[in-house]
Parts: sequence; structure tokens; C-alpha cells
Amino acid sequence: MKKHHMRRAFFVTLVIALILCCFLAPYAWIVASSFKNQLTLFNDVTPLSWKAFLPVGGTIENYQSLFKRTNVLTALANTAIVAGGQVALTLLLCSMAAYSLTRVSFPGAKIVFVLILLTFLLPIEALMVPLYQVVSGLGLSNTLLGVMIPWVASPFGLFLLKQAFEELPVELEDAARIDGAGHVRIFFSIVLPNVKVPMLTLGLITFLFSWNSFLWPLVIVQDPANQVIQVAIAQQGSPTQLPNWGETFAGATVATLPLILLFLLLQKYFTQGMTTSGIKG
Amino acid sequence: MADVSLKKVGKTYENASANTIEDLSLDIRSGEFVVLVGPSGCGKSTTLRMLAGLEELSEGEIWIANRRVDELEPRDRNIAMVFQNYALYPHMTVAQNMSFGLRLAGMDKAEIRRRVEEAAKLLDIAPLLDRRPKQLSGGQRQRVAMGRAMVRDPAVFLFDEPLSNLDAKLRGQMRAEIRRLHKRLKATTVYVTHDQVEAMTLADRVVVLNKGKIEQQGTPQELYERPATRFVAGFIGSPTMNFLPAKVVTESTRPALRIGEATIPVPAHKAETVLQRVGQDIEIGLRPEHFLVDGPADLSATIDMAELLGPTTLVHFTLAGMTCSAMLPPELAAPEGEVQSLRIAFDRMSIFDPKTGHAL
Repeated sequence: MKKHHMRRAFFVTLVIALILCCFLAPYAWIVASSFKNQLTLFNDVTPLSWKAFLPVGGTIENYQSLFKRTNVLTALANTAIVAGGQVALTLLLCSMAAYSLTRVSFPGAKIVFVLILLTFLLPIEALMVPLYQVVSGLGLSNTLLGVMIPWVASPFGLFLLKQAFEELPVELEDAARIDGAGHVRIFFSIVLPNVKVPMLTLGLITFLFSWNSFLWPLVIVQDPANQVIQVAIAQQGSPTQLPNWGETFAGATVATLPLILLFLLLQKYFTQGMTTSGIKG
Repeated sequence: MADVSLKKVGKTYENASANTIEDLSLDIRSGEFVVLVGPSGCGKSTTLRMLAGLEELSEGEIWIANRRVDELEPRDRNIAMVFQNYALYPHMTVAQNMSFGLRLAGMDKAEIRRRVEEAAKLLDIAPLLDRRPKQLSGGQRQRVAMGRAMVRDPAVFLFDEPLSNLDAKLRGQMRAEIRRLHKRLKATTVYVTHDQVEAMTLADRVVVLNKGKIEQQGTPQELYERPATRFVAGFIGSPTMNFLPAKVVTESTRPALRIGEATIPVPAHKAETVLQRVGQDIEIGLRPEHFLVDGPADLSATIDMAELLGPTTLVHFTLAGMTCSAMLPPELAAPEGEVQSLRIAFDRMSIFDPKTGHAL
């Protein structure tokens, strides 16, 4: 029996390790390639060898030229501002909307909620042109606010938080009313502190979405001074020359590092939020 | 302390087919402990929530301390409420939970600390002040919820089934504690429960609600001994009252009741009422302790089941086609399958009109 269990555990571990390798391999390749010159990089993948995944013959030239030649630092700062702002605005807006839809009864509340959820079904690409027209119309094209503003009203965030609010006993709010708190005080002092995990989860997902967004910033921002990191990496080469892949990978590594650090710090809340909200990926 | 008055209060929900509360009037004296009791859906919690200001009235008025309050916010009514699930703020410590209302009211910090410490001492939760609710047992949470109500020094305490989530032993302890606190604080208290034992043991006055209306109100003893309706008779008392169909007959010009094969006399104080119903069907109500084993037997029955409860034995038998139970001394109760001779304490029985359910 014990032997059987050990064999099963070994098999499971092996499968997990294989899946992990599948997920890690592209990242390992990107990081390793960021330390190679163009020639070594191509030699290691034609034919594909184990060297492709290790920084063999490492050089930091790619990083040196990336920071010297491109506006990657400005783009990083822009991305941090956009992602941070988007997180703050999304949390504020979604939590207030979800709370109203959960606790305030008004005619058509269910229809409003279903309509909001239906926007899930629209692919981002289909929204680009109308969004561009609206954001340009508001005079926000080429601005960081224009990059973040269309996404702060997140149907996913509303759904996630509505579920969290529904699980919160309404008696907490009743008790607070008797204690003398008004709606705003109840919302900020009683309700929000008790949905910390879903809020952190939404914050993290929004940050990831914002940090990795490419298409919308490419459409709405033309000024390099206001460009975000993903677009800056893609545009770092000259249109008339072959891309410098080592530099591109260095940029990708730099762009990924903050996300990895953030995820390592908050992964507990991320998994908790996903499992308690019933949204399992 | 304050008088509380509900005047023709009504509550109708938009989607409900009938009124939840209808024309409910109730006067509660200052310092009185009133228990609203009734089955699920009878409107007792809704009444309490309207009193607290958590539900709007559809009609009527609520007065607290000679001030009309039904248009006021809960915070302006000078009340405090203890909830069924305690409703302690999970992210705050016990001390923060207790002081939240006082802090919102802008009370002086030293005064807040004094009040919290005093209440904590009284409720024996002083060592728990820095803990969070999840670190407390059910009984401790209950005490904290009471402490939160106490520190506000309200005119009226409202309790919404506060002991429902506790086990039987703790429930008994907390019941005694609440009673003791009420005696000490002498605050007007309105307490909602579906547990008639809680109602009987705690209340100065019990108000029995049924389908949104007051069925009867009075002291626990009045309700137990002189139920106004069959509903109250069946709801109050555990084990429940036995109801038997009977026919009014005359025996040597005196009224008597025929219950199955047995004919029993009518107590003198009920004779006149019953005499007007000769030949009609009525229903009699006998509490389990109204069956006695001493003296001349009025009837005999085969015991279907006997349950030893310690100081008494609860025997079950069939009488006039109805299952009855009687509370007998263990040493005199017949074992299962044997015949038990029983005397009935006629003077204590209740008589009901089977059509209206009202006591005769």
C-alpha cells in the first residue's frame, strides 16, 4: 500500500514537473537570450539545444544598449503610473458599483448587471475603434489617462466583488447603522476591510492586465514620451532593420521582473481570491 | 430607560401577497422586558427591525421615550441591538468593536475607555479586549455583542434571537446572564425569539405573534395557564399541550364532556360557558402535567412509549384517536405496553371553540 502511494506520488510529481517545464521554458529562453548576442542566440536554436535555455557565453551588452539607446525607463515609469492608476480607479469604481448592485434595490438592477456582464463577450479588438473615438473626443489621446480610462469599469471586477459583497452578512451593515455610521462610513470602514482578499485579487489581475496591455496603448498613444513598456519594447528597433532580438529579450525581461516580484509578494491573496470567488482558471 | 410604543404599525413588502405586519399596537413600559415570540415568518423580527429603524414602516407610528422615532435614523433612536449572528466587525478587535459607535459619536477617548472597560468587566470579557472575533468562542462573541450594546447606554435594548447559534448548555447560561443584566441595568428590553422556553424564562411580558398580528400578550404564567387561543396554547409550553376533541353532553342536568368512551365533568368555572354548547363539538386542551396518577382514575390508556427525563417520565398514549403525552413521576409511570390509570386535573384544562380556535 505504501509502495503504491509512493509510486503515485512520484508519478504526480513527474507530471507537475513536466507541466512546470512547459510553462517555464519560454521564460527561461527569454532571460537566457537576453544575455546573448544575435549570432549565439540563433546558433542555440538552430537546431534547438539545451544551451538556448541557459545564459551560456553571457554578455550584458543588450541591457547596456537597451538603457542607453531606448526610452525603456520612461516607458517603465509610464506603465507603473498607468497600472497603478488603473488599479486604484478600478477598485474604487467596481467596488462602489458592485456594492450598489448587491445592496441597493432599484428597478432593473438585474438587467443592469446582466448587461454589464454581457460586455464580457465583446473582444477587445472589436472595441478599439469606438473606444478610440470616445477617448479622442474627450481629448485624452496621447495621454496616460487615455491609456487607463477605458478599462477602469471592469465587468470582471464588478462580478468578482459583487460575489464577495453577497457573502458578507448584511447584519454587519445593520450593526454599523445602529452604531451611527452613514452609507459612506459603512462602505469604507466596514464593508471594504472585509473584502480585502477579493480586492487584492482584483487589484493584482488589473495590474497584470494593464502592465501587459499592448494593442490599446499602441492605438491611443503616438508620442514616445507617453509610451508604455510593451509598446516601447516592440518599437525599439528601426523599421528598416532586422530587430535586435537580444535587446528585445532584455526589454522583455525588464518588463516581466516587476510582475514576478509583485506576484511573489501577493500570490497568497491571488490564489485565495480565485478559490473563494469560485473563479478558478 | 424609556417607554416604547408601537401604534397601528403595519408592514407590507412589495412582492408579498399579504401584509407581514398588520395593525400592530404594543405599549412597553420603561424597564420592562418584553419578549416577542412566534413561529418563523410571524413578523417578530420585522417588528424588531422596524423598532430599530432598519426597516421602514408601511403605516403606523413608533414612539420611544415620548418621542416619535419612525422617521429617524437608527443612530438617532437611542437604541442598541444584539443580532442573531452577533454581527461583530471581523476586522476589529473586541475593544474596537465595542467602541465603534462611541468613536463615531465623537466621545472623549478617556470616557470611551472607561465605558468599554466597565462593560468588559461586567461581562467577564476584559482579557479578550485585544482579540478579534474569530479568536472567540460563540459564548464570548455573544458577550462582546452585548457589551457593544451596553457601552452606548441606550434607552432600549433590542435582541434578535441572540441565543439561537449557541449550544443548549451555553444557551441556558447566557439566558440567565441576560436576565441578570436586565435586573441590574433595568433597561427597557425587547427580545425576539422563536424559542418559547426563552420567552417564558426571560420575559416580564410575552407577546405571541402569529401571521403578523398579536395573538395574546401577558405574563408567562398567564399565557401558560390561560391561553386565549388554541395557537397560543400549542405554542407555549414544552412538551406541547394535548388537544382532544370532545362533545358537550348533560349528565343529571350538569354539563359534561365526552372524550372517546369516557365522560368527564366540566369544572365549575367553565360550566356556564359549556352549558350553552350542549350537543356541540368542542376541543379541550390538557397540558402533560394535567394528567395525574393519584386519586380516583377518570380514564385508562395503554402506554405506547415512555421517556425517562430524569425527575419525570413522559409517557405517550392514544386517547380519543389523538396521541397524548403525560408527565408522570417515574416511579408511578407504567412501562410501555401496559395500561396506565389517569386522573385529569379538570379545573386546569382549557376549552376551545374548534372553529375559531378561541378559548371558551
